[in-house]
Amino acid sequence: MGLQPYLLLAACLFAIGLFGVLTRRNAIGILLGIELMLNAVNVNLVAFARYAADPAGLIFALFTISITVAEVALGLAIVILIFRVRRTVEADRLDLLKG
Amino acid sequence: MNDAGTLALAALGLPLCAFVLLAVVAPLRRAGKAAGALGIAAIGGALVAALVLWRSGQGVELAWSWLPAEGGPMATVGILVDPVAAVMLVLVALVSFLVQLYSLGYLEHETGPALGRYYAYHSLFAVSMIGLVLAGNFLQMFIFWELVGLCSYLLIGFWYDKPEAARAAVKAFWTTKVGDLGFIIGIVLLWGRAGTFTFSELFKMAGDGTLAPDGLGLVMFLIYLGAVGKSAQFPLHVWLPDAMEGPTPVSALIHAATMVAAGVYLVTRAYPLFLLTPDVLALIGWVGAFTALLAAVLGLVQADIKRVLAYSTVSQLGYMMAALGAGALGAGFFHLLTHGLFKALLFLGAGAVIHAVGTNDVWRMGRLGGAMPQTAIVFLVGTLALAGIWPLAGFFSKDAVLAGVWEGGLTVPFLMLALTVFLTAFYMFRVVFLVFFGAGRAEGHPHDPPVSMSLPLWTLAGLTVGVGGYFALRGGGQEGHGPGWIPWVSSALAVAGIVCAWVTYQKQAVSAETLARIFAPLYTAAQRKFWLDDFYGAVYRGGFLALSRLVGWVDRYLVDGLVNWASAWTLRVGDRLRRIQTGRAQDYLYGVAFGLLLVIVWSYWP
Amino acid sequence: MSLEAAGFWGLALVLLASSLAVVLSKNLFHSVLYLALALVATAGVFLLLHAEFLAAVQILLYAGGVITIVVFAIVVTERLVGERLNQTNRGVAAGGLVSLAVLIAIGLFVMRAPLPHAAPPVAGDLTEAIGRNLLTRYVLPFELLAVVFLAALLGALFFARKEE
Repeated sequence: MGLQPYLLLAACLFAIGLFGVLTRRNAIGILLGIELMLNAVNVNLVAFARYAADPAGLIFALFTISITVAEVALGLAIVILIFRVRRTVEADRLDLLKG
Repeated sequence: MNDAGTLALAALGLPLCAFVLLAVVAPLRRAGKAAGALGIAAIGGALVAALVLWRSGQGVELAWSWLPAEGGPMATVGILVDPVAAVMLVLVALVSFLVQLYSLGYLEHETGPALGRYYAYHSLFAVSMIGLVLAGNFLQMFIFWELVGLCSYLLIGFWYDKPEAARAAVKAFWTTKVGDLGFIIGIVLLWGRAGTFTFSELFKMAGDGTLAPDGLGLVMFLIYLGAVGKSAQFPLHVWLPDAMEGPTPVSALIHAATMVAAGVYLVTRAYPLFLLTPDVLALIGWVGAFTALLAAVLGLVQADIKRVLAYSTVSQLGYMMAALGAGALGAGFFHLLTHGLFKALLFLGAGAVIHAVGTNDVWRMGRLGGAMPQTAIVFLVGTLALAGIWPLAGFFSKDAVLAGVWEGGLTVPFLMLALTVFLTAFYMFRVVFLVFFGAGRAEGHPHDPPVSMSLPLWTLAGLTVGVGGYFALRGGGQEGHGPGWIPWVSSALAVAGIVCAWVTYQKQAVSAETLARIFAPLYTAAQRKFWLDDFYGAVYRGGFLALSRLVGWVDRYLVDGLVNWASAWTLRVGDRLRRIQTGRAQDYLYGVAFGLLLVIVWSYWP
Repeated sequence: MSLEAAGFWGLALVLLASSLAVVLSKNLFHSVLYLALALVATAGVFLLLHAEFLAAVQILLYAGGVITIVVFAIVVTERLVGERLNQTNRGVAAGGLVSLAVLIAIGLFVMRAPLPHAAPPVAGDLTEAIGRNLLTRYVLPFELLAVVFLAALLGALFFARKEE
C-alpha cells in the first residue's frame, strides 16, 4: 500500500465536507460539514506521519482534534445564541452582513 | 579688506542694524521718538561713512562667492564702489538723513508705534537703497531693487486705513512689477549669454567685444523695462502721482530723490552694455523726452501741490533718461544729483506748507509768503533751480542735458525738452504764485515749521545754491560742450514761462479759464491723464475678469467635473459590487473554494 | 490483496458512504449519527496507519464528545423552535460542481506527486513517542492548548447563558 490511496481518500472526504458546507441550509448541518473537512485533514496528517516515520504529524493531528472539539463547542454555543436572537438557524436568513 | 571696503560696508551695515533692532525689539519700536533717534543716528553714521568714502576718492570691489555650482560659483555677492556709486551713495545717505530728521517734526502727531514703524521702514529703505547703489552685480542689484520697491509699497501705504493710500500702494507695486518682470528676464538672458552677473566682468567683455552684439538689443531693452517701471517713464509713469498718498517726507525721499532715480542709476551703471545697442539707447532718449513733455503738460492742470511735484519729477526723470539715451552719460547723472537735491527741497517745502494749512489743494492756499517767510524762500530757491535759472544747480545740469541731447543728434527730442523747459517754469511758478503770493484764501494761522523741519530745508537750499555757485564760479557745467546759444535759449524759455505764470495767476491779466478754453482738447485730455489710467484700469479689470471667468470655468467644469465624475463612478461601481456581499457565509466560501482552485492550478502550471 | 489493502478499501467504502449520508440526509439527527459512523471509520483508518493512540482519541473525543454536544444542541434547538429541524440543501448543482472541481484539482495534484509506495517499518511504540514529544518538544503548544480550551469554555458559557 502506498501513500496515494490515503491522500485520495482524504481528498474525497474533504470534497464531500465542502459540498456539505456549501449546500446545507441549517447552521448545524454546516458545522457537520466542517467536521468532515477537518477529519480529512487528520487523515492526511496521520498518513504523512506514518510514511515519513515522524511522530510530529500525529501530534499535529492530536492538536487538530482537540481544537476542533473546542471549535464545535463554541460554534454550537453561537448557533444557539443566534437562534435565540433571530429565531432561526437557517443560514440563508443569517445575512446581517448583506451589503 | 581695505579702507574703502570697510567704509562702504559701514554705510550699508548701520541702517541694517537700526532696522533689525527696530524690527526685533518691540518696546524700542513702540517708543516712537527713540526709534526715530536710532534711525537718524544710524543714517547719520552712514552719511559720514559715505562722505569720507567720496572724499577719499578710492574705488573698491569686493566679492564673495554665492550660489555654488559646478565649475565655480554661479553668482557672487559683493560691493562695487566707483566714483558714480560714491556720489550716489552720498546723495542717498544725505537725503535719507535729512528726510528722517524732517519726519520727526512732520509726523509729531503720530502715535509711538506708528512712528516706530515709520522709522523701521525708513531704515529698511536706507539699507535697500544703499545696497542697490553699492551692488556689484545684476542679481544683487535686482534683490535690492525689489526691496526698495517693497519699502515704497509699505511707505505709500503708511496710512493704510485710508483706502486711497492702500490702493495707491498696490498700484505702485503692480505697475513697477511689470517693469521688474522685464528686468529679471533681461538679467537671466544676459547671464545665459555672458555667464556672469558681475558688472566688472560684463564691462570687460563689452570692452573687448567678446559679448556678441546680435540679439543683445532685446536683452538690454528688457533690462531697460525695469528702469521704465522704477523711474516712471512713459507708459508706466501712472503710479508715481498716486504714490503721493504717502506721507510727504516719503515722497521727498523715495518718489523724488532716490528710488525713482534708481532706474536712471541702473542705465548709468550698465552704460557700457547699453553702448553696444545704439537702437535701445535711441529709444531711451525718445521715450525720456516724450515722458518729460507729457508729464509737464499733465503737471499744468493739477490742483494738488504734491501731484504737481510728482509730475515734475516724472518730467525731470525724462530729462535724465533723454540725456542718457543721447549719450550724455555725465549730464544725465549730474541732473540726477542736482534734481535729487532740489526736488527733495521742494517736497519738504510743500510738506511744510501742507503741515501748516492742512490741505494739498493749491486753490485753498494763498498769500503764505508773509506767514511763512522761511518756507517761501527755500521753496522759491527750489523752484528757480527746477526752472533752470542761473546760477542755481538746476541751470547747469539742465543745460548739460540739453547740450548733450543736441550733440547726440536727437533734434526732435531736443525740441520737446526745450518746450518742457517753458512748461516747467510755467507750472512751477503757477504753484508759487497761487500758494505764496496769490489772493489769500488760506485758513487758520499758518506759520513756519519747527527747527527739526526747517534745518533740512535750509541745508538743501544751501546745497542747491552752493552747487550752482560752485559751477558758476568755476565756469560752466561739466559737459558744457554744446553750442553757446543753448544756455541763452533755455534761460529765455524759463523766464518766459515765469512771466506767463505771473501774468496769468498773479496779475490775472489772462484768466486761467480762457487759457483752458483755448487749449480745450489738450486741457480735457490732460484732466483725464490722457486716458492712460482709464485704459490700464480697463485692461487690468478686463484681464482679471476674463482670467477669473476662465479659471471659474475650469474649476466648475474640469476640476469639479472630474471630482463629480469620479464620485459618481465610485458610487455606481460600489452599487454593483455590493451585490457580491450577500451576507451569507456560504457564498463567501465559494470565493475561498475558487481561491483554492486558483492556487492549485497556478502551482502546477507548467 | 493484502490484509491491509482489504481493510483500507472496506473502511474507505464505509467512510465515503457515511460522509455522503452526512451531507445529504434530510434528517439532521440522522446526519449526526452518520457523522459518528464516519468518525469511527476514520478511527479504523488510523488503526491501519498504526496510530492506535489517535484512534482512541478520535473515538473518545469525536464520537464521544462532539457527537454528544451536537445532539444536545439539536435537542435544545428543537425544544426552542418547537418543531423538528428539517435539513435541506440548496444550490446542489453549484456546490457539487465546485466540490468536484476541488476534488479533481487535489486528485490530479496527488497523482502527479512522487509519493512512497511502501511504508517504512514501524519504529517502536508510537504512543510512547507521542507522549515524549508532547511533554518535551511540543510542551509549549500543549500548554497553550489548555489556554485555548479555557477560552472556548468561557466563550461557550458567555454565549449560551440566559439574558439577564
